[in-house]
Amino acid sequence: MERIESTFGRIMIHVVLVVFAAYSMTPFFWSALQSIKTLKDANSRTPKFIFTPTLENYQELWLRSVPDNGATIAYFLIMAVVILICLLLFAEHIPVGNGLIYGGVALGFVVLLWAIPRLVDTTDFYDYFINTVIVTVGTIVVSISIGCLAGYSLARYSGHAAVVVLIGALAFRALPRLAFILPYYWIGTLTNLMDSRLLVILALVAVNQPFTIWMLRSFFMEIPNEIEESAMIDGANRLVAFVRVIVPITWPGIISTSLFTLLLAYNEFLLVKVLTQSNWTLPVAISRFTAGGAASPSVSARIPLGAAASISATIPIVLVILFFQKNLVKGLTAGAVKG
Amino acid sequence: MKRSTFFRFASPSIIIMTLLMVIPLGMAIYLGLHYMTYANVTSPQFVGLRNYVNVLSDPRFWQSFRFTALFIVVVVPARMLIGFVIALLLDQVSSLLRGIYLSIFLLPFIVVPVVGAIMFKQLFEASGLVAWMYRELLNQRFLYTETSVKALILIHGVWQVAPYPLVTYFAGLQTLSQDLLEAASIDGASRWQKIRHIIIPHVSTLTISLLLFSLMDAYRIFDNVFVLSGLNPVYKADTIMTYTYQQAMKVQRLGKANAMAVLTVVGILVILIPSLVQSYREQIEER
Repeated sequence: MERIESTFGRIMIHVVLVVFAAYSMTPFFWSALQSIKTLKDANSRTPKFIFTPTLENYQELWLRSVPDNGATIAYFLIMAVVILICLLLFAEHIPVGNGLIYGGVALGFVVLLWAIPRLVDTTDFYDYFINTVIVTVGTIVVSISIGCLAGYSLARYSGHAAVVVLIGALAFRALPRLAFILPYYWIGTLTNLMDSRLLVILALVAVNQPFTIWMLRSFFMEIPNEIEESAMIDGANRLVAFVRVIVPITWPGIISTSLFTLLLAYNEFLLVKVLTQSNWTLPVAISRFTAGGAASPSVSARIPLGAAASISATIPIVLVILFFQKNLVKGLTAGAVKG
Repeated sequence: MKRSTFFRFASPSIIIMTLLMVIPLGMAIYLGLHYMTYANVTSPQFVGLRNYVNVLSDPRFWQSFRFTALFIVVVVPARMLIGFVIALLLDQVSSLLRGIYLSIFLLPFIVVPVVGAIMFKQLFEASGLVAWMYRELLNQRFLYTETSVKALILIHGVWQVAPYPLVTYFAGLQTLSQDLLEAASIDGASRWQKIRHIIIPHVSTLTISLLLFSLMDAYRIFDNVFVLSGLNPVYKADTIMTYTYQQAMKVQRLGKANAMAVLTVVGILVILIPSLVQSYREQIEER
């Protein structure tokens, strides 16, 4: 629509947007502030905006004890992370194969995550973080690989069976999770698979599969049939044609879908809460910073520690999203536009 | 594509969905007909429809049902209206500011729901920013009561999910034909008439799909309520999902909880069957 030109109108637009931005931001701003206050400052009745910032909450959350050479270790860890992120950001400009760089960076992060608890004395919060990484990555890998095969075949096969699968998936996508999760608890107890990361990953894959195949199918439908047909005339079978020709073209769509899978797996609370006893992921681990949970710290300690835990869990996801924001917005709109 | 190829490609996905969704749903129906606690997990005792009678005559079930209905009636329209209005306003600002605003607006959507709820709750704790303003401006203490906890859950519900309709509507506005708007301007249409007769019809299909997804999500809301009400019976702010969870995990009425889960499945399916039938027809026609 054409722009509102009056000064008053323009000011009002920005007032409304700023108010809404404040509504969106305030909880983050406040928690970030609370997380760098001392126990006493964080519990003060009149909010302190001017105070000496401290990292003691983060330290208490992540570390059991502080080593003597802590500053040196922290320095090297931060440098390693910065180097890895820079490699990722400038991968396009480095004259080595992109796949090689991404693989190397991934390996670098794995080594880093493995090395940290061997260098410093980490708390169980670090174990929950590692669990979350394992569960999230596992879910993405399994869900996207089987989802691509299914989404592609659903886009190309015109028989009645495909319609049945699609509509069935749509119906199951609408159902409340609890209807599957309570029986999982039963399965988990009967088979002694309780607390196993594998069951959590498979369950997450299953509950996200309906969404994943619908979304991937919509991306595969955009690609004309002729492309893999010409590859198949050249002698490739359908699977090879799919992997070599179709997947590379659809890559941006696959990234969008992976992002949603990442958010769903990283955020999942109920399923993990029911299926685990100690192998928690971050949402379950953090929920004990509210009143009433088992193993929750004292009321006054909950405020700054809960804030530090919340911010710690948010930073990785914000970094990933900032990196892939275009894909996220693309996926959000594709999902809605196509139903 | 041949039928056999289709099944070869789709089978891993179909198998995992069958094993971990279709069969568990069958189990839920089976367990709903049995009496089961942690003590007899291996040998559930058949009780027929007694669990269902129990659920339907449980006043707390109806209480949680009413709160879920309230949540849907308040949050779904509010998030869509806010999303639509903010998207219209966002369309008016320059593209640089737009990107910044959009990143900020997306934050509540990408943050872990449990974490978002905890951050929200911290504002209302005795040491929190909102509780302090409450004291300064209204000269009252902010207390957790049934009403205030329910209000908190509703406000947080809107906060968390408004970005999704916002982004969708915003993308929908970008695909609007400018010619149509110009023609309307030449005919002397006012801004409001353009919104009413051009923009709203343009986004109507979006609105219907958003409405369906919002309804589904609001119906199964769990994480935020779990954190914000702390499953505290005093607040009486349970939704159907948190009440079912509480019955299963806290008081160990696994049979009754499964019966409740089956009832919620029936409930949402009744609402969704028209749209499922419609999607089925569309899919058949497409072929």
